[in-house]
Amino acid sequence: MSDSTRKSRQQVVDSLHQVAAEMHNRMQRGDPPRMTLPVRSKSNISFDNRLGVFKYGKSKTVRDATKLGSARQLLRTLHITEFIEEMIDSGKSSTLREMYYISEGWGNGKFGSQNESNNLAEDLEIVTKCLREDFKLRPEEDGARIIGNITVEERNRRGEWMTINCRDDVGDSGYGVPYNVEEEKLRLVDEDIDFVMAIETGGMFDRLIENGFDEESRCALIHLKGQPARSTRRIMRRISDEWKKPIVVFTDCDPWSFRIFASIAYGAIKTAHISEYLATKEATYLGITADDILAYDLPSDDLSKQDINALEAELSDPRFNTGWWQEQIKLMQELGKKAEQQSLAKYGLDFVTDTYLPEKLDGIGLGY
Amino acid sequence: MRVRATISRPRSIRELGGPDGVIRMNEAEEISSKQKQISVSEFFEKNKHFLGFDTLPRAVITAVKESVDNSLDACEEARILPDIRVEIRRTKGDELELITQDNGPGIPRDAIENVFGKFLLGSRFHAIRQTRGQQGIGITGVVMYSQLTTGSKTHVVSKIKSDSSAVYVDLGVDTKKNKAIKSGERRDIWIDDKTGNEISHGLRIRTQMKAKYQRGRKSVYQYLRMTSIVNPHASISLVVYDKEGSVVEEGSWIRTSNKLPRVVEEIKPHPHGIQLGTLQRMLREANDRRMTSFLKHNFSGVSPRAAKEILAIAEVEEGRTPKRIKADEAKMIIAAFQTVKLLKPPMDCLSPIEDLLIKKGLSKAIDSRFASTVTRSPSVSQGNPFQIEVGLVFGGDLTSDGPIEILRFANRVPLMYQQGGCLLTKALEAVNWKSYGLEQPGGSGIPKGPAAVLIHLASTNVQFTSEAKEAVSYNEEVFDEIRKAMLEVGRGLKNHLKKSSQRKKAKEKFELVNIILPEISKKSSELLGREEPDLAPVITQIMNAVFLEEVLSWDKERRLSMCTITIHNYTARARAYTILAKWPESSGTSMEFNPRGGRKEARGLWAWRLDTLDPGTSTVLEFGISGLTKGDWNEADIFFRGNGEIIGATKMDEALLDEQRKAEALEAAVEEVRSKDVSSHTNEMRAEQSVSDLSTESSVSSDVTEFVPSADTDWFGMEGDDQ
Repeated sequence: MSDSTRKSRQQVVDSLHQVAAEMHNRMQRGDPPRMTLPVRSKSNISFDNRLGVFKYGKSKTVRDATKLGSARQLLRTLHITEFIEEMIDSGKSSTLREMYYISEGWGNGKFGSQNESNNLAEDLEIVTKCLREDFKLRPEEDGARIIGNITVEERNRRGEWMTINCRDDVGDSGYGVPYNVEEEKLRLVDEDIDFVMAIETGGMFDRLIENGFDEESRCALIHLKGQPARSTRRIMRRISDEWKKPIVVFTDCDPWSFRIFASIAYGAIKTAHISEYLATKEATYLGITADDILAYDLPSDDLSKQDINALEAELSDPRFNTGWWQEQIKLMQELGKKAEQQSLAKYGLDFVTDTYLPEKLDGIGLGY
Repeated sequence: MRVRATISRPRSIRELGGPDGVIRMNEAEEISSKQKQISVSEFFEKNKHFLGFDTLPRAVITAVKESVDNSLDACEEARILPDIRVEIRRTKGDELELITQDNGPGIPRDAIENVFGKFLLGSRFHAIRQTRGQQGIGITGVVMYSQLTTGSKTHVVSKIKSDSSAVYVDLGVDTKKNKAIKSGERRDIWIDDKTGNEISHGLRIRTQMKAKYQRGRKSVYQYLRMTSIVNPHASISLVVYDKEGSVVEEGSWIRTSNKLPRVVEEIKPHPHGIQLGTLQRMLREANDRRMTSFLKHNFSGVSPRAAKEILAIAEVEEGRTPKRIKADEAKMIIAAFQTVKLLKPPMDCLSPIEDLLIKKGLSKAIDSRFASTVTRSPSVSQGNPFQIEVGLVFGGDLTSDGPIEILRFANRVPLMYQQGGCLLTKALEAVNWKSYGLEQPGGSGIPKGPAAVLIHLASTNVQFTSEAKEAVSYNEEVFDEIRKAMLEVGRGLKNHLKKSSQRKKAKEKFELVNIILPEISKKSSELLGREEPDLAPVITQIMNAVFLEEVLSWDKERRLSMCTITIHNYTARARAYTILAKWPESSGTSMEFNPRGGRKEARGLWAWRLDTLDPGTSTVLEFGISGLTKGDWNEADIFFRGNGEIIGATKMDEALLDEQRKAEALEAAVEEVRSKDVSSHTNEMRAEQSVSDLSTESSVSSDVTEFVPSADTDWFGMEGDDQ
């Protein structure tokens, strides 16, 4: 998100007012108020050739006040609009969770759950083409941690820039990625690495550090903490753009891990409106693949009912509509098995760094 | 072995010691002469399983059951509202002490031995009426079981009203002589250990036995809970203690009705249920001189005309002496029984619970939102009168994730075992519950959901699948009647669910246009700095319907069941309607408060014509019913005539209303003829006649037994929840 794409305060307020105006105009004509949104499901995302990521398609959904639930959503949207305006005026910001609690005072406009307030904030982003940073809303979600020989500058609470080397200036838990990783807050200064490896689980992240994998293979390790937060995806995108370093993704072998990769490389369904900022189309899925379960004879678990449903859904997800993914998903369905990253420990603690990763990296031309 | 004979507990207390406290010795002797008596212990040992003492958990249930059934029967006969207390105390290991106490008539001193010490076996052939006491072997079995398993005596305290003191006595059984052994007999004033008052009549039994108290679906608790449902006139309590004396289970079901079940009459057998052997025996024992009078006097449902017809078809002369009828002639008579049209047997031998009381019974045991009950008219299968009652409760505290609870009863006795093999269950499973709003995986079987269904079969002859008497055996007519009753309560449920969902929808719409929409308008105008828009046209567009809401309430001061109907016109056009309401019309109720007038359309259906309702306006209609008690009426059906739909009311089905009116006219005609005549036989004959006459005009079946509409007959399938 370069500065040129960021909107001025007035632009943000104006685009929020357009939402309120759509409602008001309709009521003046004697029609129920409403709000028009793109459909936010896998059926309405498509590959954008120009951007190289998945974006929302043309399907729209109308939220109008003919049903109680939708009418409440409209009222809440207006309350959020008012709240954002107030924050913009007073130069404050709040977390999504704080907004959820503040809504307690909105009477009939209060949220039923935090999920609801998060979704509505996203709806507003999509409709107004603003970002939640424009709305002065922050996530409380945990950013990633990074360990590796890269140097960044981060502007601290006092507004001073501090330089941090993510290998030498951090403890065992690594450098914590802040929620805002834009230029105004974070600069990528220097690096001496060959690639970046994003890792799903904390256990594997710690294993690789203990085995000294980052230095040996000259890479930076990023712990994704499950489904990666926006800032995690954004910083990977910036590393890819600014340093032109390859990004490889190392996860468990199960349908949910496939989705983690898809959100990094192709764009997440929930945030398809900003895929071009968040998705790193150059990212590569390293493993664990369904093939690996067989090739390395890994200990595996049976797929649960939810796993099976998730796999089935992925078959019709446009992001997985490539020969390789279809093959992997079908193979997994056939096996009826899934495996964890840590199942590699079957062959000893060093197996992952001595054998598995070198072999896999060699396979994609990143051998060391 | 002799056990093949039908085992029947001859309601010993009633037969041997009447409620008046005087033993009807001649009757008692008469009964015992008809009974075959066999050695008790021999019998007991061989038949433990169907006497209900085969397992330790079941033994205590059976003992409670025998004792409570006796109490209920005795109270019913003596016209006393029963208060029954059950106490169970674990004494050691697998042993426990059971105490039951009632406020019944008590047993006279001299009858105690017989009631508690003898097995009475035999068939009571001529007595055909509905009784609880068709199960097990009675309280004697309990005394016996106690003695066999613990070697102890059963302590009895009995007080009859006419004595000044109570009899205290310990009882055992002499298994060789099949006799009770009395010991420690004394007389004393009986003071209630709970209240400290002197007891004027009642019975208390304290006995030790090898048994185990268990909780759950098959427990004493469940048995008493079920018993209380079908005996809303009884107050029953249960306390269970462990070895240390702390309470482990407790239940108390207070009576919800002061109406005792009516005393049932014995009836003569109906020709449709007679077997050849029985007929031959009756012929042999008959004192009648002529066959015509034999048929008339020994059977129910046989009019003089029918008797003549039977004999003509069987080619037996009317003047023949019954004793001289040969076997092949008897066969011909049996065949003729099936071809001649006969009147139904009289139905006063049955004692239905009646739907209002079922509702009360269910509501005292189960907390629910909705109850729909049906008492079907009595019906006949193979000459045996029977009657089906069904109750369905829904919502409230009932759990929604498992199969529904099925409460089965035969002649007011709970059936707790062998649910799957029972006709009552099978009839329930055969209904397509999905179409009535309950989940039913696979389209048949026991439905799932927050519901419980009660099925009561009242009959002079309940046929069980086995001697254990826990499952009713297949019978097409009974099956059909249960199915029909289920469909009725099902429709009640469906209406209720439809109504609740409509009500919910309407409530949401009101909230939407009255609260949320004005806030949207206000907030958006504030944000934009614009004028607030006029919302009236927006509201009309959002609602675009006429809404009807009815509220039932209880007017404490006037003792009226009030119904308040509000109609809102949220359309862009003026509307005119006639509103019709179903109300529980009966001889005891009346439309006491009705400022809007209107008129009666049919039994239990009142109509009001409304003035034109302009767009955006509403009107209120109110009426009050007297003769009900609080909570009796909790679901109303509202219909309308007019164009367009009303959310919250059903369009009147005029064709069904016509049918209902015809049926009512017919019934009135039958009733008129009946009331003119005194003799029941001729009166039924006349009714038959008059119906035949009527039928030529109204083209209805001429068989009176087929269609006499009962007071409960309902119209256009909306019955079952109108109380």
